[in-house]
Amino acid sequence: MSAIGIPSASAARDRRQPGWRAWALLAPMVLWLALFVIIPGLILIVYSFCERDEVGGVIFAFNADNYRRVFEPVYLRIFARSIGYAGLTTAICVVLGYPVACYIARAGEQLRNRLLLLVMVPFWTSFLIRTYAWMTILKQEGLLNGLLQAAGAGFGPLNLLYTPTAVVIGLVYAYLPFMILPVYGSAEKLDNSLIEAAHDLGAGPVRAFSAVIVPLTLPGIAAGTLLVFVPAIGMFAITDLMGGARVPMIGNVIQNQFLQARDWPFGAALGVVFMLMFALTYALLQRRHASPA
Amino acid sequence: MPDPVRPMIEIRGVTKRFGAFTAVDDVSLVVRAGEFLTLLGPSGCGKTTLLRLLAGFETPDAGAILLDGEDVTHLPPYRRNVNQVFQSYALFPHLSVRDNVGFGLRMQGVPAAAAAARIRDALAMVSLAEQSGKLPHQLSGGQRQRVALARAVVCRPKVLLLDEPLSALDAKLRHGMQLELKHLQRKLGITFVFVTHDQAEALTMSDRIAVINRGKVEQVGPAAEIYHRPRTPFAADFIGQANLLSATIVGRNGTTARVRAAGGLELTVAAAGLPAGASTALLSVRPEKIHISKHRIEAENVFAARIEEEIFQGATDQLTLVTDQGTRLHALVANESAIQEAFHEGDRVHCGLHPDDLIIVQAE
Amino acid sequence: MRSLKSIVLALAALGAAVLAPAAEVNLFGWSEYIPQEVLDGFTRETGIKVNFETYASNEELLSKLVAAGGSYDLIQPSEYAAELLIRRGLLAPLDRAKLTNLKNIGAEFRRLPHDPADRFTVPYMTGTVGIVVNTEKVAGPIRGYRDVFQTKFKDRLVVLNDNREIVTWALYSAGLPVNDINPAALAKVRPEIARWVRLVKVFDSDSPKTALLNGDVDIGIVWSGEAALLWNENRKFKYVLPAEGAHRFIDILAIPAGAAHQAGAHALINYILRPEVSKIVSDKFPYTNPNLAARQLLSPAQLANPASYPAAPGRLETFRDIGKAAADIDRLMTDLKSAQ
Ligand SMILES: Nc1ncnc2c1ncn2[C@@H]1O[C@H](COP(=O)(O)OP(=O)(O)O)[C@@H](O)[C@H]1O
Ligand SMILES: [Mg+2]
Repeated sequence: MSAIGIPSASAARDRRQPGWRAWALLAPMVLWLALFVIIPGLILIVYSFCERDEVGGVIFAFNADNYRRVFEPVYLRIFARSIGYAGLTTAICVVLGYPVACYIARAGEQLRNRLLLLVMVPFWTSFLIRTYAWMTILKQEGLLNGLLQAAGAGFGPLNLLYTPTAVVIGLVYAYLPFMILPVYGSAEKLDNSLIEAAHDLGAGPVRAFSAVIVPLTLPGIAAGTLLVFVPAIGMFAITDLMGGARVPMIGNVIQNQFLQARDWPFGAALGVVFMLMFALTYALLQRRHASPA
Repeated sequence: MPDPVRPMIEIRGVTKRFGAFTAVDDVSLVVRAGEFLTLLGPSGCGKTTLLRLLAGFETPDAGAILLDGEDVTHLPPYRRNVNQVFQSYALFPHLSVRDNVGFGLRMQGVPAAAAAARIRDALAMVSLAEQSGKLPHQLSGGQRQRVALARAVVCRPKVLLLDEPLSALDAKLRHGMQLELKHLQRKLGITFVFVTHDQAEALTMSDRIAVINRGKVEQVGPAAEIYHRPRTPFAADFIGQANLLSATIVGRNGTTARVRAAGGLELTVAAAGLPAGASTALLSVRPEKIHISKHRIEAENVFAARIEEEIFQGATDQLTLVTDQGTRLHALVANESAIQEAFHEGDRVHCGLHPDDLIIVQAE
Repeated sequence: MRSLKSIVLALAALGAAVLAPAAEVNLFGWSEYIPQEVLDGFTRETGIKVNFETYASNEELLSKLVAAGGSYDLIQPSEYAAELLIRRGLLAPLDRAKLTNLKNIGAEFRRLPHDPADRFTVPYMTGTVGIVVNTEKVAGPIRGYRDVFQTKFKDRLVVLNDNREIVTWALYSAGLPVNDINPAALAKVRPEIARWVRLVKVFDSDSPKTALLNGDVDIGIVWSGEAALLWNENRKFKYVLPAEGAHRFIDILAIPAGAAHQAGAHALINYILRPEVSKIVSDKFPYTNPNLAARQLLSPAQLANPASYPAAPGRLETFRDIGKAAADIDRLMTDLKSAQ
């Protein structure tokens, strides 16, 4: 009956200084992190304080103009919209993914493995192909409208593709597994006798859910939120393909700085602000964890 | 003190199957209001399943369960005025000791002030008043066990169900808790249904014991009755030590009968437990009921034997006897004083047995 | 960073020197624009290996070219990017003696503003940006940008997701010069673009034909090659060059200054200029082929495709480099699109 999500006293005792063997084992990861995370991150930060030249190169002239521009209303509005879409996506993923994850965690071993496989099957095909598949489903003369027509639906073809609805469908579809898997992870660890204890003490299904199951699976929800919310803010492929690129998301704006506007420094500044948002979300979620009710 | 009249729980012909396996087999049992009843049996015999049927975590495939006269067979656990202390304690890891204990009261909607007072009393009762702000993982095993107990009794259930609550504790702590639990039960007057596979624990704590074997109740009765008058070979063997002798009946004479045990030892037994027409019987003899002396003794059944093995156990001596007819028996004699006659391996001794101490546990 | 980059480049060069065969050409071109068949044919004939890397926008080409220095031998910029590269001295002058097939290029496509003396560039394919109309769904004539951006066509339009293109259409509509982009001009067209943006259903540069084929929209402003494919698919998709004027883009073959394999690059250019090779490109990508000798090999159906070879081209202009104004355009469009 180990406490869930709460560090145990023995974990702290086990914390030792890593020896050279540990460093040797860690070396590939440290190198990977340094080459592909830390150094690019530093380059991004340096660029963000530079100026562009006309070819799209970078002139080293240290100033904070790019950051001043990030906080212009246009870009703040886009940030807000991106966060709104990401928030809605996260909320829908929680609502859809939570019961699924709990069901999988409670299923028998064989069924559980099969269901987990189903959750992961989409990763076997490329993300772009799956997005195009959704487009053929949602388009005016597509699968969904064809089915509706065949079923004799009284209303005309649904106009779904290239609407905000399509964007949310695409985002939820893309990120749902990232919610299901961590929630499953913590739901699976949840001791069934705790739920029985709640019932035994007079909690009906709803109270047992809200007072015991939800708080104990909160670490999974938090991890899922981190995995869904932050990437969804920066997602631009889905908004382009399924939303018709009508309203720019922060990801589109960043991409444009590099691929259309030849303004790497401003793109870098947007990227740095985006990283800071990630760090902030992470810190907030961690804080919530560290201080249980 | 148990009210002999009022049944708190009536289990009527309850059967529970898991697939083809019958875990609880046509069990009928009455638990009296205010008594401490123990379900005793080996691991896997269906004790937990029976308890879960009472709690409402399982529904029977046949039969009915009445709680204080009300049929609760199909009521979910949260509608039964019954609480359980789980074997693993099942404390909520995210709630403090205080909130764990208050959980049931919160679910019942007890006003905050009243709840706080009851929580305080319950924690004081299990001597955990100081720990109320801690989280479960900050407590020792014994403390967790007491939180689980407080959490259940604070709800003032009609029946408290306890599933091997002491099995995770070390021997010394367990013994202390046995007495503590028993005193607590007396004080609160709540009906306890207690599950254990430890016969000594059952004898120590229970008003009555239900001996369970393979999903069936073999015998129900006060501890002393089960011990002195076991009605099945299983009950005789599982509780305490017993010599089981298979014998043929060689004659009857009113209130007594003559039997011949394997090996040829002839004994007189009380005929009351013997059905008419029975030709064979299985007899149970508690080791301490065999009277042993180096001198001749006056008794209904006397026979001579040789001491094959002697084991000094402090308060008692355990002897293995072989009668002249070749029957092997275990006996227990008290070491009352140092000057008392001592028994040694190889000694010849005289043995006596009262017919009432020869219990017929099976006959046909 | 600079030093790290130079180390990486040095390592790459070393690796290339050790591993690569003696004769090779490093081609950096558009994705989906050069048939593999053409490159294979060149290698088979000359023994020169072609290392093909692709990009998706001129800006990507520019930034990689600046960053990676002399590692490419042949590139494929559009006209305004080529102009910038020439001005910055980043292209090597061509050796015309080696380009014997240069004579196949039509006069219309020579001595254009981006390279007035044809010193640095050879046209590969050209095209226009024009209007496609699904004539089964749209009644009445569509002649220009004004006819497209009508309120009745709200949510029935696809346009290129390219900010400079959209601004150019607005400048044409307003009768302003399209290659002189300044804050005053942008301010003038701003309200019109704001109105347009609200009417458009899909912005897509990569495959604007998809929305038209799927029936999600009925009118588009797209690359002529996309329009030609639509016409091949179904004759109901009619191509119209806007009356107010249209962008003619020229995709170019050019050799970066300091390229290591200039001889091989020249050989590949000359190979592509052969009529029968250029025809292969036309078969696969039905843009306007500037190679007149190759056009003679095309089928009547190919030549009759109005998107590839419009009957009355009207007013066509190439893009000039606009320097830092690209960022002003981006800001304007971001502002208008996000205001919805
Ligand atoms: N949910 C279940 N599914 C299948 N078999 C079960 C289940 N619960 C208990 N059993 C089986 O029923 C028998 C009795 O179990 P249990 O009541 O837990 O025994 P005890 O508590 O006396 O050790 C065991 O053989 C066990 O394997
Ligand atoms: Mg059990």
